[in-house]
Amino acid sequence: MPLVEIERVTKTYNGASAPVHALGGVDLTIDAGEFVALMGPSGSGKSTLLATLGAMSPPTSGRVRVDEIDVYTLDVERLADFRREYLGFVFQQLYLVPYLTAAENVMLPLAASGMKDREQHDLAFGALARVGLGDKTMRLPRDLSGGEQQRVAIARAIVNAPPLVLADEPTGCLDSETGAGIMALFERLRADGLTIFMVTHDAAIAAYADRIVRLKDGRLVEAYESRAAAAGPVPA
Amino acid sequence: MQLRHIAWSGMKRRRGRVLFMLSAVALAIGTVVSLATLSAAMRAEVGDELDRFGANIVITPKTRALDLAYGAVAVGGLTVDAQALTLDDARRVRTIHNRRNISAVAPKLLGTVDLNGTPVLLIGADFREERAVKGWWQVEGRMALGAGETMIGADAAAALRRGVGDRLEVGGEPLDVVGVLSANGTIDDQAVFVDLALAQRVLAKPDAVSLIEVSALCRACPIEEIVAQIGAVLPHARVAPIRQAVAAREKAVLQFERFAWVIGALVLIVGALVVTTTMMAAVTERTQEIGILRAVGFRREHVARIVLLETMAVTIAGGTAGWLAGTGAARVLGPVLAQLSEPVAADPRLAAAAVGAALLLGLAGGAYPARRAARMEPAEALRHF
Repeated sequence: MPLVEIERVTKTYNGASAPVHALGGVDLTIDAGEFVALMGPSGSGKSTLLATLGAMSPPTSGRVRVDEIDVYTLDVERLADFRREYLGFVFQQLYLVPYLTAAENVMLPLAASGMKDREQHDLAFGALARVGLGDKTMRLPRDLSGGEQQRVAIARAIVNAPPLVLADEPTGCLDSETGAGIMALFERLRADGLTIFMVTHDAAIAAYADRIVRLKDGRLVEAYESRAAAAGPVPA
Repeated sequence: MQLRHIAWSGMKRRRGRVLFMLSAVALAIGTVVSLATLSAAMRAEVGDELDRFGANIVITPKTRALDLAYGAVAVGGLTVDAQALTLDDARRVRTIHNRRNISAVAPKLLGTVDLNGTPVLLIGADFREERAVKGWWQVEGRMALGAGETMIGADAAAALRRGVGDRLEVGGEPLDVVGVLSANGTIDDQAVFVDLALAQRVLAKPDAVSLIEVSALCRACPIEEIVAQIGAVLPHARVAPIRQAVAAREKAVLQFERFAWVIGALVLIVGALVVTTTMMAAVTERTQEIGILRAVGFRREHVARIVLLETMAVTIAGGTAGWLAGTGAARVLGPVLAQLSEPVAADPRLAAAAVGAALLLGLAGGAYPARRAARMEPAEALRHF
């Protein structure tokens, strides 16, 4: 049974002069533990598909199911609960809260769940240790490098052990060396059984995935096993 | 980490905005507190004046004919048609609902007698109660205390050629003159004050009284209510308040109170608008941050609670600061603006009211920004997807 089922999803925006058809009937399934990269040119609908899968933008038609939950049948507050319990987000722009420490940023999904402080603390410090930032838990984002901030964002995405992590150009604002380190981290998370769906325009980054799907003009045009996956795990 | 921690961290980061909002709330609450404190102090002072003035309610029998006057008050006890008052009526005054506001009930019996060939007004009084309602009397010697003593008015003293230390025989009973009232331009100048029981015997009116003077503590009660309550227990009597002495001052206080209410309401509205605009600006500034919170699973209610927690924390602090500043301002301005003779006292109940008002102000001012923040959709807020 696949973890994610996207069935005939369309998305049409009201443009200034004419409707914009961002997605034109996308079908996609992702198995549990799979690492899938979504590629495509600008304006192809990558970000729209990620937002739709991320319970943040309902499709015009079609259905999104995650772990057998028909996502868009949930009301607005249950959608928030769904994002907290089932999804982890890693954004290109990092999106850390600037006045909270690394540990506090990681605790955010836990704070919304009403978990006790001690438990939050243990989970957040554990997640930061897992991404190699066990010694920088109390630093503010401005005192961390770009790569470290992205690790904090990844720690936040995995702190409550969601079944699915959505990543949007996670190395987009990093240099190639730091980006490689982040991808190695994703590789380890996948090896630990995490399901990852990543949007990227960089073929080298996409090569870390098990499977690459291509989107063009709102439609999936190609899906294939990546060379790296065929060749074996990418070394850290 | 709980929601309050996020709210507190956010406030620490935006100290300037928080200080601005806190100052606005403190100014609004401070203005209201100072106006309320001044109003209360002015009303208390009017109450004190009423209390010092002595009796502020006079009870007389119901009658159309007024045969005798006592000061500015008609005395009906001497008319034949009226149902006379009795000592029992005086006792019933202390049975009304607002009896705790009654400080003195002074029954009197009035009549004319001939003393050594000189006609004088004889007033029988309960001296203990009389002391309470006639605090403003100037007495040479002292107030009479018991049945064997008498006080006489200045004109009567001259006519009778009696002074403090002399003896005066009334109804065959020798009395010590212990006090002579200084002339005050009222009928008291011509009166001889004796114990009520003696006057009833001399005037052959056992148990009767001509009028009852009542001193009510009006600071804490509307005198009209007390008048109505006495009227209910004494339906055969005419109960009238005496307010002329401080009526003008009371009117000024009433006008000041109305002015204070209007200004206070306007200031609170402006304060709420400042809270709204400040929090709206804060919410707009934090759009991305709210988007992050919503994306990682914060419900709308969580976001609204964070905004309201911040608003309420600032307004509670502002309310407390406003109470302190308002009370201080009232202390300084009281003698200047309201001609208050006594220093204004800090009122802890007003502190609770000030903080409560500040909280309401925060809720009113913060409700719309909180709602707007809560309704932000994560994808739009992040402008990312």
